[in-house]
Formats: sequence, structure tokens, C-alpha cells
Amino acid sequence: MRLERNMRSVCKLLAQRLAISLLVLAGVSVLVFAIARIIPGDPARIALGPNATAEQVQKLREQLHLDRPIWTQYGYFVRDLAEGDLGISLYTNRPVTTDIAQFLPATLELILVAGIFMIGFGLPLGIVSARYRGRAVDHIIRIVSLLGVSAPSFVWAVILMLLFAFFLPLFPIAGRISTDFEIDRATGFLLIDTLLVANYAAFGNALWHIVLPAFALALSGIGQAARLTRANMIETYGRPYIEMARSYGFPEWKIASRYAFRPSIIPSLTILGLDFAAMLGNAFLVEAIFAWPGLSRYGVTVILRKDLNAIVGTVLIISAAFLIANLIVDLLIAFLNPRIRYGQGSK
Amino acid sequence: MIAPTLDIRDLRLTFSGLGGSVDVLHGISLSINREERVALVGESGSGKSVTARSVLGLLQSLRGTRISGDILFEGTNLESMDESRRRQLRGTRMSMIFQDPVSSLNPVYRIGVQFREVLARSNPGIDAAEARDRAAEILSEVSIGEPGRVLESFPFQLSGGMNQRVMIAMALVNEPALLVADEPGTALDVTVQDQTLRLMHRLVQEHRTSVLFISHNLGIVREFTDRLYVIYRGRIVEEGPTGSVFRAPGHPYTRALLAAVPRITRDEIPEFEADPGKFGAPKVVHGPAGNSA
Ligand SMILES: Nc1ncnc2c1ncn2[C@@H]1O[C@H](COP(=O)(O)OP(=O)(O)OP(=O)(O)O)[C@@H](O)[C@H]1O
Ligand SMILES: [Mg+2]
Repeated sequence: MRLERNMRSVCKLLAQRLAISLLVLAGVSVLVFAIARIIPGDPARIALGPNATAEQVQKLREQLHLDRPIWTQYGYFVRDLAEGDLGISLYTNRPVTTDIAQFLPATLELILVAGIFMIGFGLPLGIVSARYRGRAVDHIIRIVSLLGVSAPSFVWAVILMLLFAFFLPLFPIAGRISTDFEIDRATGFLLIDTLLVANYAAFGNALWHIVLPAFALALSGIGQAARLTRANMIETYGRPYIEMARSYGFPEWKIASRYAFRPSIIPSLTILGLDFAAMLGNAFLVEAIFAWPGLSRYGVTVILRKDLNAIVGTVLIISAAFLIANLIVDLLIAFLNPRIRYGQGSK
Repeated sequence: MIAPTLDIRDLRLTFSGLGGSVDVLHGISLSINREERVALVGESGSGKSVTARSVLGLLQSLRGTRISGDILFEGTNLESMDESRRRQLRGTRMSMIFQDPVSSLNPVYRIGVQFREVLARSNPGIDAAEARDRAAEILSEVSIGEPGRVLESFPFQLSGGMNQRVMIAMALVNEPALLVADEPGTALDVTVQDQTLRLMHRLVQEHRTSVLFISHNLGIVREFTDRLYVIYRGRIVEEGPTGSVFRAPGHPYTRALLAAVPRITRDEIPEFEADPGKFGAPKVVHGPAGNSA
């Protein structure tokens, strides 16, 4: 009965968030659709180049429905979108979905690894800092996390590249994997594809390539996570239930990792979720610096070339990724915080 | 001769911080024999809670505290024991009940989960089913009718009184020799507090637990404790069997304290001092007693 109610409220939450997400996506699509068409310049002319005749340009405009009113164009767009069709990119001459499928996994892989770094380094640093509050470790961690949040990720990208790829060549300077490796594309995630074919050398190589850019992308998130976790842990340490846990003789590591950590992480999660989503934007510059073959180069090029379908498609996919990340965070919070799962105050 | 369950000798405690240091306890001596229920009463800030926490060893690791004196538990000196051995005693041989039951239980774990971890303190290998049975058993001892439902709940889903019973049950489930209760349930309303304290009293009698009972509720103290210590500004000013101290308080501070509090005993309407001049007495305790202490 309890489990059933638990499931029901989680489902309700999920449905609510999904509905909101879809609304947001619809709004984003209208906005980007309009903005892309307001930017000056004729997409057909740009695509065909200066040597094309006026007739050729006019023909392409008709093909793209650019001669129609904007709301009719939007109607076509929605009709095609319902069939999973984002149109043809004028830049690559391929379906936009094909382009995105090619470039998105590299970006997602980078962001996911950066997210893992953010959680994997940020939270433990915060815990240790709170546990040894006022001691030397605490001061060191606080300085490091302040550094992390105080510079944007592209600055870190340049610094890390100079330090650990150029002066101290511990890591490769650019790319996702060395050219010696030929990996069949299955998911587009190199770290998965290499494992699927059991090519561990290639896996190690891909991992080696991703460390620096992911770390550069994650640094401010790590700092943020450490600071938030520390602050919340310190607050939690003042709570009566921690003293009660101590009075029951639980070891300090257990009190930190179990009794104090979980109540502390709940308020941090929303902000960490936003940080994670912000990486989607920051990734563009980091990718450019590390010549990471992700969505950023494609995105920048299509904007410069006024490739309408590609712009709209790219923005929509990024918004969708953003919304999915938020949805996951909301569910995680519901999972960690029983008050949300059961609806506040229910008896 | 059997060693007393708890024997505190000349306990001194100093907190030091940025603004200098304050002496909080000036040589407390207090002992509790086996199965004895001992009360520690005194006004706010007199040092009751720090005494209780020192017994458990909760203050010793705090930065800026200086403790001297001996705390003997069943004849062993806790103060000379190393920290990990001392920690082994907590939750197994001695346990504590806190003032606010709702915020003393961890908000994100079910009661059953918290119970199991407490049980694992004295029986590390205990499995889920066994822990459940044992927890349900002790919960019914504190008159919880549906132990299964309570074990499945989170603290915020239960009433304050229910949480209080859970905390009492948790504190006693490992059969400790000593229970320290620091103003248990003061955060609850008076009737609920009264009810749960009665349950606690019955339980410690059945389990033959020694108790250090700290309370502002002198009615309960009179009813449930064998001996009484009166603490004033970090010193014990009076000590004796509860009944005789209540009948004939020796120290002027004790007299002020007893006069200040309406006596609430079972099935009785609180009786107040007839003299309305003394009615504001709770705030007065510092005054007249201060000169003589
Ligand atoms: N961690 C601490 N640092 C500094 N001073 C403290 C600390 N804990 C307690 N004190 C001081 O020690 C004195 C005794 O406090 P304690 O909590 O033992 O009082 P109490 O008798 O339990 O009072 P109450 O009835 O209000 O609970 C108080 O003056 C208090 O300010
Ligand atoms: Mg107190």
C-alpha cells in the first residue's frame, strides 16, 4: 500500500515534469524558429553561393517554403517534426537528424564524463572539508574550490592544456582518440563503442583523450559542488540527529557518509543539476579549444551559414538534453527526499 | 561490593573559544548504582546537558573543551580509555534520549532502517528479518499498536509522541546498563510528555536499567527517581533521596527551585504555591540562591 502510494506520487511528479518540459520545448521551438528567420541574410543565397542565378535561388526558396508566411512555415516544421524529420541541412546536404546523430554523442560523452568528475570529486571534497572544518585540509579544499568557480571553463581549458598537454605532455592536446584506432560506430560514444568490441587499448586511449577537456569543463562544477556540500554538511552537523547518531557510537566516517551526507545533498542537487545543464553551453568553447569533434563546430558553422533547419534542430536537441537533465535531477531528489516522495506532511 | 553503574568524580569542564574560556563545571561528583534512577535538576544553563554529554563522551572530541576528573562506568575509567573502545560502549552499554524526538531521528531513513543499525551496534551480523522482529517486539513494549507500520514510516510521518516512543524503544533495545535522558520530550505537549515518560519509567524498571534523568518536570522527578542531585552553576549543591529532598530541601537554591515549579502528579490538578508573591519564581531562582551558593 505504502509502496503503491510511493509509486503513484513519483508517477504524478514525472507526468507533471514531462508536461512542463514539453511546453518549454514547444516555446523554444517557436522562439528559435522565429529568431533564425529574423537574422538578416537569405539562407538560399548563402547556401548556393554568389555564383548561383536568381532563378536557382528562387527555386531553393520555394523548396524550403521560404516564400510562404512564417506561420505556414512553422506548420510544415511541426508536421515534419512529428515524423522525426528536422529537414535537410543546407551546409552538409544531409538530414539534420543524421548530422546531430553524428556530432551529439561526442558532446554528450564529454558532458557526462565532466558530470561524473563534478560529482566524484566535488561531493567527497565537500564532505572532507566539512568533516575537518577549520583544519588545513579544509582550507586547502576551500581555496581550490574557490579557484574552480572563479574562472570560466574555457580559461581552465587553456590553462590545463598548456600545463598538462604542452609543457608537461601527460595528456594529448586534441581530439577524441588517436588516429591509429579504427572503431566501428555503434552508439557514437567512444567509451562504449570501444568496450563493445572489447578493444581495451582503444578504450584507454579514448579515456586518456577525454580527461583534460572533461576536467576543464567540470572544474567550476567541482568547486561549486564542494562548496555547497560543505555548507550543507556543516549545517547538518549541527542537527540533533547527528548528535543522536554519535550517542549511538556510530563511527565518524559512517556519520559523515550516511547520516549527514544524504540530508545535506538534497538542497545541493537542484543547483548541481543546473550546473550540469550549464555544461551544455560551456562545452562549446571547450570543444573548440581541444578540437573535440562534437556538436559545437557544427553549431557554430550552421549559425554562420544561416542553415535554418540545422539551427532549429541543434537548439531543440540541446534544450531537450537540458530538460532531460533537469528531469533526472527532480527524480533523484524525489528518490532521496522522502518528504517529496510522500507529499509533505502526509501521515 | 559491586561497582556503581556510573561514578563521576570531580568532573571539571572548560570551554575555550575566541572570547576566552568559561568554566562550566566546577567539580561535579555524582554516582548511580545498579538499577537506580537518579535525577539531575537545576535551572537552565547550570550544566545538566554538558554533564550528560560528558558521560557519553560526546564533548571530549569537541575542539576547545578541557575536561578533567574521572568518569567510571561499571568500575572502568572512561576518561583513560581510548576513544574507539569508549565508542564501543555507546549505543550498546549506554544510550541517550534527547529533548526533541522529531528532529533527533534522521529525516531521510525509515524507522525500521534506523532501528536495524542501532541493533547492529551490539549484533553486527543481525539480518533484516531478525532486526525487524526485535524492533517490533520492543515497539510493542512502548505500547505501539502497529509496530509494522511504524517501522515502515519516516519520522515526519509520525506524531511527536510516537517518535518519542520510538526513541525510547531504540535507546533500550540493546539492553544498556545506563540510560541518560536529557529533558526527554520537553518539546512535546505536557500530556503526551507525561504519558511517554510513564512508559519509559515502566520500561527501565522492567529492563533494570540505571537512569540519569534530567528534567524540569519536578512532578515526574519526584514520582520516578530514587535519588536527586541539584546542580547550580556547575556545582552540585544538594544530593539525597528524592523523597527527603522534596520534603526537606536543605539548600536555599533547592528550596527556590521546588517553590518555583508547580507540582504535577498523576490525576491531580497542579497545585500552586498559595502565596502569589512567589508565583513568578522561575525567573527568581538565580537571585536569592545566588548569594548563598
Ligand atoms: N559547546 C559549547 N561551547 C561553549 N559553551 C557551552 C557549550 N555547550 C554549553 N555551553 C555552556 O555551558 C553551560 C551549561 O550548558 P548546559 O547545556 O549544560 O545547560 P543545561 O543545564 O542543560 O540548561 P538547559 O536546562 O537550558 O538545557 C551554559 O552556560 C552554556 O552556555
Ligand atoms: Mg540542557
